[in-house]
Amino acid sequence: MTPADASAATTPPATPLRARTSERRTLIRPDRGLFDLELDQIWRSRGLLATLVKRDIMVLYRQAALGAAWAVIQPIFAVIIFTIVFGIIAKIPTPGDVPYAIFAFAAVLPWNYFAESVRRGGTGLVTEEELVRKVYFPRLLIPLAGTIGPILDFLIGFVVLLILMAFFGIAPTWRLIAIPPLLVLAGMCALSISMWIGPINVRYRDVKHTLPFILQIWMYASPVVYSFSIVPDNLKWIVALNPMVGVIEAFRWAVFGEGVLDPIAIGVSGVLIVVLFFGGLVFFKRMERSFADLI
Amino acid sequence: MNSNIAIRAEGLGKRYKLGALGSQHNSLRDALQAAFRPKKASGPTEFWALKDASFEIKRGENVGIVGLNGAGKSTLLKTLSQIVTPTTGKAEITGRLGALLEVGTGFHRELTGRENVFLYGSILGMSRAEVATKFDQIIAFSEIEKFIDTPVKRYSSGMYVRLAFAVAANLDPDILLLDEVLAVGDLGFQKKCIDFTRSLERRGSTILFVSHNMFSIKSMCPRVIYLRKGEIVFDGPTDEGLKLYEADSRLAQAPWYRHEGLEPPAVSIIDVKLMDEAGAEKSVFNFGERMRVRFRYRTTRPIERPEIRVGFDRADEVHCCTFSTFDDNIDIPMIDGEGELELTTAPINMVADQYMVTFNIRERTHQLCGQLGGTFHVRHPLFISHSYGVFHQPGQWKVNTRDQQAPQLVVNGRDR
Repeated sequence: MTPADASAATTPPATPLRARTSERRTLIRPDRGLFDLELDQIWRSRGLLATLVKRDIMVLYRQAALGAAWAVIQPIFAVIIFTIVFGIIAKIPTPGDVPYAIFAFAAVLPWNYFAESVRRGGTGLVTEEELVRKVYFPRLLIPLAGTIGPILDFLIGFVVLLILMAFFGIAPTWRLIAIPPLLVLAGMCALSISMWIGPINVRYRDVKHTLPFILQIWMYASPVVYSFSIVPDNLKWIVALNPMVGVIEAFRWAVFGEGVLDPIAIGVSGVLIVVLFFGGLVFFKRMERSFADLI
Repeated sequence: MNSNIAIRAEGLGKRYKLGALGSQHNSLRDALQAAFRPKKASGPTEFWALKDASFEIKRGENVGIVGLNGAGKSTLLKTLSQIVTPTTGKAEITGRLGALLEVGTGFHRELTGRENVFLYGSILGMSRAEVATKFDQIIAFSEIEKFIDTPVKRYSSGMYVRLAFAVAANLDPDILLLDEVLAVGDLGFQKKCIDFTRSLERRGSTILFVSHNMFSIKSMCPRVIYLRKGEIVFDGPTDEGLKLYEADSRLAQAPWYRHEGLEPPAVSIIDVKLMDEAGAEKSVFNFGERMRVRFRYRTTRPIERPEIRVGFDRADEVHCCTFSTFDDNIDIPMIDGEGELELTTAPINMVADQYMVTFNIRERTHQLCGQLGGTFHVRHPLFISHSYGVFHQPGQWKVNTRDQQAPQLVVNGRDR
């Protein structure tokens, strides 16, 4: 059998031209309005977004010997260390006698989600360099996938939190319904940051090296190991400039009901996230055009 | 607007800033250093990879894009597929566009073949359902059923390419942009890919095809666009366009050779003549004929004990043979300035096809020059690459059709 025969056998039956031809028009031009964000493209590429998220999850867990167990081990270790250092040794007070472990876990969960999303979303453009250089797709899918993927880890961690709460005898309340919108808020916050640092990382690869460091400092600037209520009053507004403050405090409120929902903190966080988000979107779309040239 | 037009480009141009491209600031430190250093005032700071390209491509048309390395072919395809944004002009595309700039981009090494089929399919713009319905077809085309649940990191490069092309081929786009992708895999698979592209063509797909392989261009595209330094210098019938291209590619740098450094190459070939034994210049040789390759070189510095190689590459860039002064024990103590050499080959026993002469000059192990020296054809009614491979030589046979008889020696079976 010659190669020609072989291909004749596997060539798919011809579909009539009419059925296949799409009338979709694509206009390629140098300039696009500053606020033309082409969000319809994101919707059209939702299939690819789902595939990218799924791929990230499969690859992550397949490469690790312990697989999905990491989603449990990692926050538990963090909480054990925090409990020893900050709960037992430094004796950081928790509001309303909540066990320090629960107090910390309720903040570590959203924080880890945020940090992991920023890490993946912010460096994704460079790790996916090959794709960006050779295939067209809305580049925004990369930070988006980076934000969606870690939700799985979050959910696994959340189950651990529920088990821990049962262990300490803390009953879940209706307040838990605040968690999905809070998670969206944390995701938006992470996506905003990714949309800013992603394009910068394309230009200056320093970002990759500084990011873990920045996230570390950021964690201590956020009320993860301590409570927002012990921040001196005259510093509160500065601390609240950190958009994750409101999210983390509200998370604690949703989990064990303590901690006041500081309206200033939530308000400042909310406004900041919205500004960062839309600013980031415009910035990303502006920079997107040069990604393939620079990477 | 005429709906028969698949691609309409008007004044499309892409400018690259040399600073940003050549000495990209990969870190903040570089950027800071550059800011404090006085600007070097050397050479142009920008260049146009593509300049003022205007053309229309009708639905169902197959167009080849040719040009030497760096002529802007890939930039054109990347612009049309929206990977890079043009600096000037615009293009309008009607229909679903599929671009294959590199086979297998987006494959993930850790995932299995099956998972990668879905991943790659959606990267190329297929929906999951679409990939699922075509899955069996894709696997059959790739011929690697057995390994479909193995991670692709365990694949050979050939298997990798097969699977990737199988997915891409089933993309079924209205417009397909192909960049050299057919020059992969073994010959059988290449043939299959070309056949497949032809079947797309029969179904009315528009194909834009970049290739160095003049054979596939000739067999697939009635029209070529010829780019030279970013500009379209010819747009019309393939035969005419390829003549221009061949004239330009004579003595051009070979695609596999990259000259490093800023100063001109130490030695270059400045003239070539392909002749038969009688000294008549020609470009079509009979199988079994000898060829005389006479060429002039020019050096910019003395080169001691150079090795001079002349090679023949088939049109699909398969390197077929090499003649070397070293291997033939020709001792050249030194070359300096201009000079001329002539090689008379053994009788050509490569099968009928199109070939390219290549030059390669080395000093010790260092390659100083890699140039193309024009194309020639070998003619034979029977020995063609499709059924005879690369070369043909008569063999000696022993034939024993009945065990009782003593083996009969048949020399040169053909002359029996």
